[in-house]
Amino acid sequence: MKETLLDILCCPLDKAELELEVIREDDEEILEGRLICTECGEEYPIEDGIPNLLPPDMRDEATA
Amino acid sequence: MKLADERGMTTVYEPAEDSRLLADAVLDRIDGGRVLEVGVGSGYVAARVDSETHADVVGCDINPAACARAKGEGIEIVRSNLTDPFAADSFDAVVFNPPYLPTPPDEEWDDPLEYALSGGEDGRRVVRPFLADVGRILRPTGRCYLLVSTLTDIEAVVELAETAGLAAEQIAEESFPFERLVVLKITQKNT
Repeated sequence: MKETLLDILCCPLDKAELELEVIREDDEEILEGRLICTECGEEYPIEDGIPNLLPPDMRDEATA
Repeated sequence: MKLADERGMTTVYEPAEDSRLLADAVLDRIDGGRVLEVGVGSGYVAARVDSETHADVVGCDINPAACARAKGEGIEIVRSNLTDPFAADSFDAVVFNPPYLPTPPDEEWDDPLEYALSGGEDGRRVVRPFLADVGRILRPTGRCYLLVSTLTDIEAVVELAETAGLAAEQIAEESFPFERLVVLKITQKNT
C-alpha cells in the first residue's frame, strides 16, 4: 500500500486513526508492516502490500 | 448444482454481464476524485475506472484471493469487511456489485464464492449493512453506484437506502431471461 492510503483508512472497530509501522518497503509502497489503532491498540498486518483490516474475529474465519 | 458451478467459476468472481453494466454506467459518470470499489473481485471494474478516468481508485474485498488478483492488476487494495475500515467523508464515488442472489440457508456453502454470490435468504444480506454505512464514507456530494437485480427486490433496496438517509434513483438497466439488472445511483438525501 502507498503511504497516502493512510489518509482514508481507520480502525474498523472504533473508527480511530491508524499509525503506520513499516517493516519492508520499496520505492513505490509499503510491502510489509503494521497498522496500529491509536485508540484501542489493535494491530492490523500489511502483507504483500495489502493491509488486512478485517476485525480480529473475522481474520481467521473468513474465506481462505 | 451450486451457483458457482452454474456460472463456471473458481474462487474469484469473474466479470460477467453485471460487472460490465456497472462499469459502463460508472465510467460515464466518474471523471476524477477518489473512488472505492467494494467487493473488487477480479478487479475488472476498478481497473477500467483506473485506466479510463483520472480518478484515484482503491478496491477492497473480504476474499484474499480476490485481493491478490486485483492487486496484480495494479489496483490499490485493502482487505476488509465492506466499508468498515474507511474514514468518514473519504470518497467521491463508491461502486459495488454485491452478492445479491437469494439463497436458501440449506443451500449456503462454505467457500469464497458464497461471499461473492449469495445475498442470503432475501438477497439483501450484504446490501443491508453496506447501505447502513456507505453514507459515512461518502463526501457530501459523493455518489454510490450499486448494482441490484429484480431477484434482490429493487424497491426493498431503495427503501433500505432511504432508511439510511440516502436517496436512490435508477440510472441503467439490462434485462435477462430470469432477472433485470439495475444500477442505482445513491446520494446523500440533502444534495
